[in-house]
Amino acid sequence: MIDYATFREQVAEYLGTDTLLQDVNLMDQGLDSMRAMNLALEWEAEGIPLDFADLAESPTLLGLWTLVEERQGS
Amino acid sequence: MTRFSPTPFPLAEAQEGLFYAQLLDPANPVFNTGQYLDLVGELDIAALSRAVAQAGVEAEALRLRVRSTGGQLVRDDLRIDLQVIDCTAADDPEQFALLLIRADMATTVDPAHDPLARQRLYRLAPQRHLWAQQVHHLAIDGYGMVLLTARVAELYGRYLAGQETGGRALAPLAGVLAEDAVYRTSPERVGDAAWWRDYLHGMADVTGMAPGRAVSSHSFIRTEAALPDDVRLALLDRAKSARLGWPDVLMALTAAYCRRFTGGEEAVVGVPHMGRMGSATARVPAMVMNVLPLRIASGELLPLDSYLAQVADNLAQVRRHGRYRSEQVRRDLGLIGGDRRLYGPLINVQPYDRPPRMAGLQVGLHVTGTGPVDDIHFTFRGDGRSTLSIEVDANPALYDAAAVQAHGLRLATFLQAALRAERLGDVPTATPEEARSELGRFNDTAHPVSAVTLVQLLEEAFRTHRDAVALRLAGMDLTYAELDRQTRALAAALQARGVGPEIIVAVALPRSLALVVALVAVLRAGGVYLPLDLEHPAERIATIVAGAQPAVVLAEDDPHGVYGAALLRPVDWPDAGEPQACAAVPGNAAYVIYTSGSTGAPKGVVVEHRAIVNRLLWMAEQYSIAGSDRILLKTPATFDVSVWEFFLPLIRGATLVVAPPEAHRDPVALARLIRAEGITIMHFVPSMLAAFLAAPESDGLAIARTFTSGEELPADLRDRFHRRIRGELHNLYGPTEAAVDVSYWPAGPDDESRPVPIGHPVWNTRLLVLDDSLRPVPQGMAGQLFIGGVQLARGYLGRPDLTAERFVADPSHPGERLYATGDLARRRNDGAIEFLGRADHQVKIRGLRIELGEIEAAIADTGLASAAVVLVRGERLAAWLVPAAGYGEAALRAALGRRLPAYMVPAAIVPLAAMPVTVNGKLDRRALPEPDFASEGGAAPATRTERRLAELFAAVLEHGGPLAAGDDFFALGGHSLSAVDLLLRIREEWGHDPGLATLFEVADIRGLAARIDGAAEADHGVGPLIVLARGAESPLFMVHPAGGLSWGYRTLATSLRPARAVYGLQAPALDAGVAAPESLERLAHDYAHRVDRAVPDGPVHLAGWSVGGVIAQGVAAALQDMGREVGLLALLDAYPADCWRAEPEPTEAQALRALLAIAGLDPEAHPELTTREQVTGFLRGSDSPLGSLPPAVLDGVVRVVLDNNRLVRGHHHRRFAGTLTHIRAGLDHAHKPQLVPSSWGAYAGAVECLTVPFLHPQLTGPEASALIAPLLSERMARFSPVSA
Repeated sequence: MIDYATFREQVAEYLGTDTLLQDVNLMDQGLDSMRAMNLALEWEAEGIPLDFADLAESPTLLGLWTLVEERQGS
Repeated sequence: MTRFSPTPFPLAEAQEGLFYAQLLDPANPVFNTGQYLDLVGELDIAALSRAVAQAGVEAEALRLRVRSTGGQLVRDDLRIDLQVIDCTAADDPEQFALLLIRADMATTVDPAHDPLARQRLYRLAPQRHLWAQQVHHLAIDGYGMVLLTARVAELYGRYLAGQETGGRALAPLAGVLAEDAVYRTSPERVGDAAWWRDYLHGMADVTGMAPGRAVSSHSFIRTEAALPDDVRLALLDRAKSARLGWPDVLMALTAAYCRRFTGGEEAVVGVPHMGRMGSATARVPAMVMNVLPLRIASGELLPLDSYLAQVADNLAQVRRHGRYRSEQVRRDLGLIGGDRRLYGPLINVQPYDRPPRMAGLQVGLHVTGTGPVDDIHFTFRGDGRSTLSIEVDANPALYDAAAVQAHGLRLATFLQAALRAERLGDVPTATPEEARSELGRFNDTAHPVSAVTLVQLLEEAFRTHRDAVALRLAGMDLTYAELDRQTRALAAALQARGVGPEIIVAVALPRSLALVVALVAVLRAGGVYLPLDLEHPAERIATIVAGAQPAVVLAEDDPHGVYGAALLRPVDWPDAGEPQACAAVPGNAAYVIYTSGSTGAPKGVVVEHRAIVNRLLWMAEQYSIAGSDRILLKTPATFDVSVWEFFLPLIRGATLVVAPPEAHRDPVALARLIRAEGITIMHFVPSMLAAFLAAPESDGLAIARTFTSGEELPADLRDRFHRRIRGELHNLYGPTEAAVDVSYWPAGPDDESRPVPIGHPVWNTRLLVLDDSLRPVPQGMAGQLFIGGVQLARGYLGRPDLTAERFVADPSHPGERLYATGDLARRRNDGAIEFLGRADHQVKIRGLRIELGEIEAAIADTGLASAAVVLVRGERLAAWLVPAAGYGEAALRAALGRRLPAYMVPAAIVPLAAMPVTVNGKLDRRALPEPDFASEGGAAPATRTERRLAELFAAVLEHGGPLAAGDDFFALGGHSLSAVDLLLRIREEWGHDPGLATLFEVADIRGLAARIDGAAEADHGVGPLIVLARGAESPLFMVHPAGGLSWGYRTLATSLRPARAVYGLQAPALDAGVAAPESLERLAHDYAHRVDRAVPDGPVHLAGWSVGGVIAQGVAAALQDMGREVGLLALLDAYPADCWRAEPEPTEAQALRALLAIAGLDPEAHPELTTREQVTGFLRGSDSPLGSLPPAVLDGVVRVVLDNNRLVRGHHHRRFAGTLTHIRAGLDHAHKPQLVPSSWGAYAGAVECLTVPFLHPQLTGPEASALIAPLLSERMARFSPVSA
């Protein structure tokens, strides 16, 4: 289980920034498909079944957190 | 139930590149992408079939039809069903299935007609199946294949569980197309375009990891291996500690590996980019991916983590602009066509690519193809946490299977070491085994050579072969006994002047007997010889002499006043004398040869006896040199190739044939010398070989062994050699610093190597290809070539600093040295070494070794520039400089001309306000303006010779604009072959040419014209035999008309097709010193002998106009008497002597007026010219070439003209047994009925009469020649060509 703070920190680390906006497309904040892939793999390793396409379809911080929360429960 | 989509839509940008590539190569199956899953366990085939079918319905791209006009549509009539193929009955079901899978992949798919996708299930056993998917690249990319597979797996699970179709369906293609259309016209795309242009600004030419053109073949070579677990875990650790994603770390390290092979400061690798961020493309199987060029600067010396972070940041940036197609980038940068590329090796990290989970099955993933492989692809598949594999796919046109496999193994080893390294620079490229091969197997050259000096070898030969011919010069023989006597005498004299071991004797003599005697005598005295080039500027010679302090200088004279009391002239050499036994030992120096030095002064390379003895004995044994060999000496003594030319024959009892001083510059003379002297061994610098082969005379020569060295031997030149010359060709390599040559390669007719290697090391010699840290590099990788072993020079005379710089300690052989050649090289898999160019600023221009630093230093020394850089552009030197006080180009050129040989003076000089520098403060070479070689501008050609030469330059170079007198032939784009063409035309124009070597040194119009005029003072093209045209066909000799000159035949001679060697016979009496011939019979006899000497065998043809025809008939008869075959005998409007005897003798005035006609003027227009003075004065003022003759020669012409009537009237013809072809001037002779061709009937076996509609004086003009040349050509073609 990860909480929002951990989740946000992971994303921020991948993007190399501390200032992440919640509802702005992460692509505009430096997320590319390779980084998205890596994030998906990392979460999957922590037991959250997310794949790249899920991330690619909801590329905002809020959108992703919604997914993560949802999948953590399943 | 199915949607129908009849409206075609355009290709997405991502599809366009593939579409055109497939269109260009429609039979190429490499556009098939595919994979198969190895399914072990209970498979529900019905469920899988249903899942595949449903996925096929969802994935529209699989049903695309792509029309050859570029539009596409989705076929709703098509179903992509799973075909089940039962292989259980096969002997080896798995192999059988794989065979079928491979066959499918190798089958071309026509996107306009065939389904783009294929789904097949191979049943190997009840519990084992291979599920193979194959989709044309136009319809899918790597991630698309993952999506498709995952969807089938998901559906399979649902159906197996009794659920209905559901889950996350694949998305329609429309989303991809809409996104593509939006991007195409978006401002974002404009921004991306600008970003890429900026990012790639200043990028050098992109190269791959192996030489050759990167165009995908029809297949690729694959090697795959799992990355060892410890490497995978080390990767995860390093990524974690560097706070980077492991795919980026893997990318950065693999790129560093690639950069070591592509060479240069920077590599550009291709990075596949999924380009699927955003909802529209996230779930669409389609072709979306892009390949991004990633610039990788050398990070060898950075802390590794800094390098990794740099690359990761670089990757993030390029990915941000990853939607912009690389095909478009190529168009933007003009990188289209030829060898121009945007990126080299491709590095693909695919963490998502892992086997899908399928209920109840163990699944293994095998990728069978990912599309075209232009160069080499390194693909990593797996999630990293549990698995990671390396796949290397390579283009078979560029790599062989062994090289691909080696890359796979070596990369794994490299990654393992790099992941633990502090910096990349500490990581070797070669595996330990490869390093051992470089030091051992490839350099296994130990061979016993006795500890003797060159003098001992020579004296042994003098004892053994006393009566053999040691030397031939100008047809004269010198025996070993005689050479022994002369060299003893001089050696004694040298010893009397203090010469002994380590004492230098300078030798400044032209190629002659004296030169050979001098060199041998210096060695026998125990001394060290130092050759000086007579043509070098005084300052350069003075510098060398001051540095070397020779005890004696053997020279004809002391033109620059630098030798002083040391001068010993050949006339003062004693005739007899007995030296003391040579005191030199193998460790003493034998010779010093100076080469260009980067510090501004030439440097003297000191070579010891044991080094040159090893080299000579190796060559003698390798090529079985025997007493019967005849070795040509034609290389200047200042060039170290001459060392074996001089001494190889003399230690083996063979004959040294000394080429006359100018012969080596003239392909015709050289070919004749080779034939006449039966040369068995000789040497060419490749550019001179190219020029030699271009001359028709070299065709069909037989030379047992020809050696090339001094510059790269182009593969095409090797092949051309074997088409023209019978004999072996050997490519040698070596710097002056290692006793002439250290490697050899037999470049025989069956050698197909491209490039031609420099080959393998000679005896007792190591050739090592090392990196900057002196570590061996693997085969296939470029490194610097180092030489070790017995042949190394002692060092540079009086310059321990320079010696220490280039002769370094050998890390693998303690106590021994390696010479750093500065040459880049690569070892082939078979161990042979390929030369790749220079690592530093030493260059070779037309075979001459040049240190650019020496020129820069010379410019600095003039004080006329505050900064200067010299570079090679094309095949020419250019200098950029910042002028200092007093600068002027002419002043600078003059100052350089005093210090440097002519070939080292830059062809273009560009003054700049300041040198452009990069941000790092380094010279920015790319920012230097292109030098203008086109035309120097300046003074127009002034003299008659300069003007005519300018026309010839323009014709040969196809140069349109006006040329200046200072324009340089090579600077204008001339090369070795066009140089030969130019010389042929110069010879046609002036009857002689200054030779290739002269042209290489003096290539501007003014300088060359001066050489032509200078030579003309001695030879005005009035020699007894001149070359009128060149060609391979059997030769035609044209006899001069009344004036004694054959120049008038030039147009006719060059109009013959095919091109034919045409010589002009000219009257010897043009020379005032030669008496007039006693009779025409005698003259014809002399001419016949001259023809026989010039062309010793095969048929010859004869022709002559007017009086020339009368003489030609006599020559033909004389040749027949000598047993020579006469082919064509053509008489241009000539009539037998009998017709003239009855005529009154013309007056002197009439004869003189005939001279006007000879000069191409109309005599009738100038009735006022009656005396010798008037006529010659008039000619001198005219444009006729006769007017440019010096008075003595013009007098000769007048004398010959006046003597003709006596000769013709006194002549009595003898019979020529063959056919006489007569060409009558049909518009003439109305008043001279006695002039009929049939009057020749009494003097020829047969007479063939032809008529052309011209007047007698017009017969050699261009219009008549156009008619007559084909008549002659056709008749000469009936005779067999000269046999070689």
